Amino acid sequence: MPGKIRKRSPLKLPDKPYIALGLEGSANKLGAGVIKHAPNGSTTVLSNVRHTYITPPGEGFLPRDTAQHHRQWAMSVIKDAIEKAGISMHDIDCICYTKGPGMGAPLTSVALVARTLSLLYNKPLVGVNHCVGHIEMGRQITGAQNPVVLYVSGGNTQVIAYSQQCYRIFGETLDIAVGNCLDRFARVINLPNDPSPGYNIEQEAKKGTRLLPLPYTTKGMDVSLSGILTSTEAYTMDKRFRSDGRADDGDKDIITPQDLCFSLQETVFAMLVEITERAMAHIGSKEVLIVGGVGCNERLQEMMGVMAQERGGQVFATDERFCIDNGIMIAQAGLLSYRMGFQTPITKSTCTQRQVFRTDQVHVAWRA
Amino acid sequence: MTDVDHSSWHKVTVRVPFASAKHASIAKQVIEVDKELQPQVVVRTIDVEGEELVATFTTLTIRLARLASNAFLENVDLVVRTIQEFGEDAERRPAL
Repeated sequence: MPGKIRKRSPLKLPDKPYIALGLEGSANKLGAGVIKHAPNGSTTVLSNVRHTYITPPGEGFLPRDTAQHHRQWAMSVIKDAIEKAGISMHDIDCICYTKGPGMGAPLTSVALVARTLSLLYNKPLVGVNHCVGHIEMGRQITGAQNPVVLYVSGGNTQVIAYSQQCYRIFGETLDIAVGNCLDRFARVINLPNDPSPGYNIEQEAKKGTRLLPLPYTTKGMDVSLSGILTSTEAYTMDKRFRSDGRADDGDKDIITPQDLCFSLQETVFAMLVEITERAMAHIGSKEVLIVGGVGCNERLQEMMGVMAQERGGQVFATDERFCIDNGIMIAQAGLLSYRMGFQTPITKSTCTQRQVFRTDQVHVAWRA
Repeated sequence: MTDVDHSSWHKVTVRVPFASAKHASIAKQVIEVDKELQPQVVVRTIDVEGEELVATFTTLTIRLARLASNAFLENVDLVVRTIQEFGEDAERRPAL
């Protein structure tokens, strides 16, 4: 049982205040955040600034344009973060950046800025795993002790549990991430991408009245989502589908986009709750921490809450400031690494695209 | 690599002047970290000569010459803007 034997944390109280700048740009969100670790053991968010690249309805974001957006906004977002934190760049101890996983060109654009700042101010660089950033920020904000983590976003869908200095992946998607599934369906029905396609699907789903049958594809501890996406898209070709959501003269047997949003959410979220429950049962945990952009979804939190309560446990989740990609989570995970003596030499400060830099490849030195 | 005959390849040289040799060196160190995506058909060198950043691209096709030098210039632009924004503040207080 995890947590039964209280091991001493290898992370000692800091001898002085430590401040870190975190830079995030693995997808369409560009974030910069400043975090402080005080000698009394407290952690304070000094600033958390973000700018999102929003594409027109029906369009997704491509690497080249996303990288261009990050290059365009990097200076103002970083300056804003430093100013809001009320510090000078000279005060920071390290510059943390997202090493991966994510989209190559956007990641590299942010890394270039991180490297330049590192050389200008003579500050060490810390490369951070994006997934570990989400987990560490979730732990910090919610105070969850040793939860099963459901990490769900546009790029990742993993069930993670901590064991012996490693965030072990218990289950994951076999093909696409759940956020990707939702975002791509949002495009098919032309939902706006502002503030995010997932948010708009959530609002539309609340108006849905009909649960349509969709394939339920959990595969043991894993899930498969691309088939569900195809099936949901297929319904839009069904002769009962009414894209404006209105019935013609009392015809009751219709399918609306709202019904599809509702059915898609209910199905994929039920699958995620199932694989999370499997992990909880396996390791005997009573806590669930939901991180990642899809974690903002209140329906998912609600469904997970029902499952957790039935098991005598509870769900932890953060608000959109922290569950959507942000720079502060990179600063947090980076500073924890840095305090354990980790640094990334500039010649090694490359970026690693998705699939290659896995969550379980990070040595979590700061935990017992 | 040494067996390949580059004499018929295309070569583009880009020279970017900087305010100081230090800034040119920063740009070199920052940009050279990432390898070229296709090193077999794009051979890149980056050096500092005085206060100038000098990059050469020896490529198999003209299209590759355009792509490589374009990407390089986009990166230089980003580094230059970062130095422009933060360079003065960085010099203001000596690094402890």
